[in-house]
Amino acid sequence: MGDCMARRPPSADLVFSRSTQVGMKRRMDRPVDFQTGSADLAALLSASARGDRAAFAALYQRTSAKLYGICLRLLGSEAEAQDVLQDVYVLVWHKAASFDSGKASAITWLATVARNKSIDRLRRRKLPSDGLDAAAEIEDDSPTAFELIGEAQEAARLGRCLDELEERARSMIRAAFLDGATYPELADREGVPLGTMKSWIRRGLLRLRGCLER
Amino acid sequence: MSDDRDMTDEPHDLAAEYALGVLAGDELRRAQELARTDSGFRDEVARWAGRLGPMLEDVEPVQPPEDAWGAIRERIEGGVEGGNVVQLRRRVTQWRGIAAAMTALAACLAIFIVVRPLPPVQTSTQPPQAVPAAAPMLAMLGTGQQGTKVVATWDPAARQLVLAVTGEMPSDTRHSHELWVIPPGGKPQSLGTMDKGKQMHMRLADALAQLLQQGATIAISVEPRGGSPSGAPTGPVVASGALTRA
Repeated sequence: MGDCMARRPPSADLVFSRSTQVGMKRRMDRPVDFQTGSADLAALLSASARGDRAAFAALYQRTSAKLYGICLRLLGSEAEAQDVLQDVYVLVWHKAASFDSGKASAITWLATVARNKSIDRLRRRKLPSDGLDAAAEIEDDSPTAFELIGEAQEAARLGRCLDELEERARSMIRAAFLDGATYPELADREGVPLGTMKSWIRRGLLRLRGCLER
Repeated sequence: MSDDRDMTDEPHDLAAEYALGVLAGDELRRAQELARTDSGFRDEVARWAGRLGPMLEDVEPVQPPEDAWGAIRERIEGGVEGGNVVQLRRRVTQWRGIAAAMTALAACLAIFIVVRPLPPVQTSTQPPQAVPAAAPMLAMLGTGQQGTKVVATWDPAARQLVLAVTGEMPSDTRHSHELWVIPPGGKPQSLGTMDKGKQMHMRLADALAQLLQQGATIAISVEPRGGSPSGAPTGPVVASGALTRA
């Protein structure tokens, strides 16, 4: 029986199962001890792309609260958010190789996947039952947006540039992005004509681009 | 100005609106069409997604329920549904960790049974030894009865044996099921009798733990109520299976 222990290297799976439980209580913005020390999200993503399940489990530990928060915010329903969260991580597992750390920060990439999947669900929910073709279109769209996320350094400036916008443009842009609300829905919500809402947001976006490109 | 007018003459950035997600109706369809056909538009949408993405960092994190991870893991392993023992074995082999085995059992097995351990049997020829940590082991106990299976998992580190049953073990009030560990070439040693309907967690004495480590067979026999009077199995063996490393 000695050999049954000696032959076996320390099991990564055991490390992962233990850390999965412990990690649930860990704050996600703190680096996590991952086998040989702290590993950043980009490293965990590329390890996941190579099929490393322990890395993927660690990635889940560190990011699931963030991504679940996004799904929940957009969908407003725990059951749906949990459903979509599954889709998100299954997709991340299969598409981790398409993450390019030169183009986006890992958390932005992951967050965008979570948002896209949530928006897919949101739009499908809103479709009439005969809108299956449209649903398929929306579904097909989602990979596009996350294959090429913009550059990380642009990201850092966003907060400052949003701050430069008029208050209502800023809050409408945030509502659109974080609640998944469309022009008609925002117009309805704010009790303003559709054209007015479009105008606020369009100007806000143009100004935002101007600021980000400065 | 007329408030209902759609200000198409106003400069706007369709890629930005598409990335922001505000488009609806015809405008959305137009953007979707462009996204399919125009790589320049696609790139621009992606740039906007990158610009807007950091807003997501402001969203309050919410801890997902604990079982969310198990469901994801199942799906990336190739989708396992129900209590198929062959699939279960494959999964457990793949993941190996005892926690994985526990999760699989919890997910797949509806009925748990409890084993009430008899006082641990110490063999006089084999002094108790510390059992070093090792990989978890698993035994599938076929019962020969359709739909009834018993799964035993052995966690050497915790010296814990867990038993779970799918389906119904045939039983009556005058008999008990008794659990045995049979070392290779050795005599069966009792692990106690089983009661239906509850979960079993059993911590084993060193001597028994050693036997399990050697790749023993786990068996269940039908005995008079309360267990075998002789300390050896007397009734028919209704389920058995060898422990193998998961």
